[in-house]
Amino acid sequence: MSKSLATHMSPASNSHAAMAPVMEVRGLSVVVNTAAGERNILTDIDLTVAPRSVLGIIGESGSGKTVLSRAMVNWLKPPLAITKGSVRYDGRDLLTLPAATMAGLRGREIAYIGANPTSALDPTVPVGHQILEKLRAVAPELTPQAARQRVIDTLDAVRIPSPKQRFDEYPFQFSGGMMQRAMIVDALVSNPKLLIADNITQPLDVTVAAQILRLLRDLQKDFDTSIVFVSSSLGIVSEIADDMIVLDRGHIVERQSVRGLLATPEHAYTKELIAKVPMIWASAETPPVPSSGDIVLDVRDVGKTYRVRDRKAIFAERQVRAVRGVSFTVRRGENFGIIGESGCGKSTLSRLLSCLEQPDAGQIQFEGRDIATLKGRDLLGLRRRFQLLLQDPYNAIAAHASIGRTIAEPLLIHGLGSRREIEHKVKDVMAEVGLAPALYNQLPIGLSAGQRQRVNIARALVLEPELLILDETLSSLDQVEQAKLLDLFETLQVKRGITYVYISHDLAMVRRVCARIAVMYLGRIVELADNDTMYWRSAHPYTRALLSAVPTVEAKPYRTATYLLEGEPPDPIDIPPGCSFRTRCPFAFDRCATDDPSQTIYADGNASACHLPLNSLPAPELAH
Amino acid sequence: MAFAIEFFLRRISQGVVIVILVAFVIFTLLRIVPGDPIRIILGPMASAAALEEKATELGLRDPIYVQFGRFMGQVTTGDFGRSFIRGAQGGSAGGSQDAAGYNPESRASVSGLIANALPYSLQLAALGIAFAFLVAIPIGLGAGLRAGKWPDRLGLYVSSLFVSLPNIWVGVVLIFLLSAKTGWLPAIGYQGFAYTIIPAMVLAIELSPVMIRAISVSVAANLGEVYFDVGLVRGLSRRTMVAKHVLRNAAVPLLNLFGAQMIGMLLGGLFVVEYIFSYPGIGMLTINAVFQRDFPIIQAVAILASAALVAINMLVDFASTTIDRRLKF
Ligand code: SF4
Repeated sequence: MSKSLATHMSPASNSHAAMAPVMEVRGLSVVVNTAAGERNILTDIDLTVAPRSVLGIIGESGSGKTVLSRAMVNWLKPPLAITKGSVRYDGRDLLTLPAATMAGLRGREIAYIGANPTSALDPTVPVGHQILEKLRAVAPELTPQAARQRVIDTLDAVRIPSPKQRFDEYPFQFSGGMMQRAMIVDALVSNPKLLIADNITQPLDVTVAAQILRLLRDLQKDFDTSIVFVSSSLGIVSEIADDMIVLDRGHIVERQSVRGLLATPEHAYTKELIAKVPMIWASAETPPVPSSGDIVLDVRDVGKTYRVRDRKAIFAERQVRAVRGVSFTVRRGENFGIIGESGCGKSTLSRLLSCLEQPDAGQIQFEGRDIATLKGRDLLGLRRRFQLLLQDPYNAIAAHASIGRTIAEPLLIHGLGSRREIEHKVKDVMAEVGLAPALYNQLPIGLSAGQRQRVNIARALVLEPELLILDETLSSLDQVEQAKLLDLFETLQVKRGITYVYISHDLAMVRRVCARIAVMYLGRIVELADNDTMYWRSAHPYTRALLSAVPTVEAKPYRTATYLLEGEPPDPIDIPPGCSFRTRCPFAFDRCATDDPSQTIYADGNASACHLPLNSLPAPELAH
Repeated sequence: MAFAIEFFLRRISQGVVIVILVAFVIFTLLRIVPGDPIRIILGPMASAAALEEKATELGLRDPIYVQFGRFMGQVTTGDFGRSFIRGAQGGSAGGSQDAAGYNPESRASVSGLIANALPYSLQLAALGIAFAFLVAIPIGLGAGLRAGKWPDRLGLYVSSLFVSLPNIWVGVVLIFLLSAKTGWLPAIGYQGFAYTIIPAMVLAIELSPVMIRAISVSVAANLGEVYFDVGLVRGLSRRTMVAKHVLRNAAVPLLNLFGAQMIGMLLGGLFVVEYIFSYPGIGMLTINAVFQRDFPIIQAVAILASAALVAINMLVDFASTTIDRRLKF
């Protein structure tokens, strides 16, 4: 953030208001009107936003935190209704202001940013133009040139690269992180006194979320704005907030400074919340160790390139290199993890591994046979032993078939066994995954997400697979349900000797279950190591950056400040020469710009692709 | 720019292939349906020998692909052949000559007939669309912006009413009310612009229900989009959001509807309406040609109609991608 920018946008703060609270909420209650009558969403909320501070509000889904943040800008729509209380801002109660006056404050003095950056703007108009439109609406006194310049300056201030060019680009050309920055620009460009940020990091990858947090903190100082930061992740709120409020089912159960809250939580619910944040390093569990079984899956130098049409040239195509030269082996009975952020190629890899697509280069061998060469019966036979489980349990289950029928379907397709045998088998498997036998004849209506995922698992298990590929399978489940399913997977592994490949962005989960882990960046594996090495002594700067950015409430071996990444991964269309991580690597040096580092395999069998010699990265700040 | 060039090169070449295929199918169909064209040309009195001789001379006994090739060769020069029936001076001449007396030069050229009729049809279509817009845009917008309120119901009632009126009946009623009873407007035939008004109203009544529905649905859908809601919290007024963003986004499905459905309805509507009002446009020309089995006119109209459809769809798609850059064609 440049100083000049901050001064030319000096806030219209009145000096007498310097110490007075920016906003005071008193006795606020909100109900939702349903057919069954009123239901309380928020009850008697009292809170005060101090000037130049960040107030964190933490709550799980259903705690009413989004309703609260919208009530603070008087932006609730039926069936939600405010039944009592006040929201005082600048000496006035926002709830009793005439609609037109309130509309004048909204977006000008009080800004609101939500959790859906990619759908927040009109998809058909360039991003910069929409921000300009808003600025001109709230500040008509600016000349068009001055307004345009201010938008571009503010885009620059949130570190959007080449802001002049970005000004004319469309929302769909922005990644989620870039779009969230643009929304921050949109909020701050009118120099508001209060910014309400509702779960804004939720859809973002950890390294991008970490950048946004740091950015907001810097901007808060430069722009002299108070921030109300609402989130469901304790790790994230504690990174940014000064004071914290804990919201449980519409009630404030605790308020404390961040430090106090983490050190000496008072309310039982707060303690529970803290206990739920998964521990990566402080966990007492010993991580799984690599197996020495025979090799089940052998991936050799696999690559996949997609072609897209180029809008800027005639009859030209551009190549999207989604997966580039990926190799690894998975041994029987082992849990192998593949981690990376959006766009790193892990979903493409999952499609290749599960034979949904063919690689253009390299080989994937399952028990010594190249799966690309299999056809007809052989392929079908292989598919049985090789199952993919996806994230979304809602789309995968037909709504009109009974649960028993859904689970039996693969057996029927493969023509395995008589009706009686199949029914017997399905019931066995249902018992195994923890589905009540009574569900056999029921339709899947009313199943919870966890139960649906169990139906999916059962459907895969009836075929007695040897390898399960879990592509973000547990991402949409809450912590408790996730833990139960992980236990289930473990039991199945012991009983049936199943091998798992976990594809995930959830570093805490992978830490808990995987023996060996591959980290992907821009279509390539940059580091492959056993669990302990990866988390305690990782050899690649990207892995460390990823780990330093995980929102946790424990001490980390990698300090965020040392490893924080700038920018976003390059487009897989224009992969830079040299090391593909070079554009963001805090340790890049001359050689990285020209030489693409190949994988170095160390004595312990771990490997990383970086020119830096082992042990030359800063020593971890926490000993194992 | 590069995108526009590539788009048009690609779409025009695809379009040409489509039109040629359509032309071939129509050409073939018209030659395998019962009824020997030479009979139509020469009339029932000609002798069998004379028929054969003349048919061979005119190339009507060549294999179909040869005939088609010859025909397409002419088409590229803008020549769609000559009518079997209509004389060069107008009026039907079919069926009255003997073999020796038939001279293709005496028959009107199809391109000439179409060129004469086309302006009338274009005028009628343009006025019909304009009337339809006049009715559908305010009603549709009102219905979309106030979903669930009275304008929404008004939109529903008006469109249901219009859908259920057969256009022949509407035509007759309008002629009775506006022409026969009051004498405000002329109705049958064509002697000046005023003759277009009543037929255009009938067309508009046929087109507007689909438009009303489409406008109200896509406007209402856009009001439900996240960006609309967020826009209001960002500090933009509802009026700005509707005028600058909702209408723009709603235009894309409307354009597509226009290309996919309305043009077809319009063509169909023209045929019926022109026939009801004896309006001298393409529709009238074609219907008469069908009754008289005047194949060259039928096939020329069909080919031109398919070309028009392809061209309009191309323009509509281009307009859509210009509005919404996410679309790919
Ligand atoms: S090779 Fe260079 S740029 Fe790449 S990760 Fe290593 S230090 Fe960073």
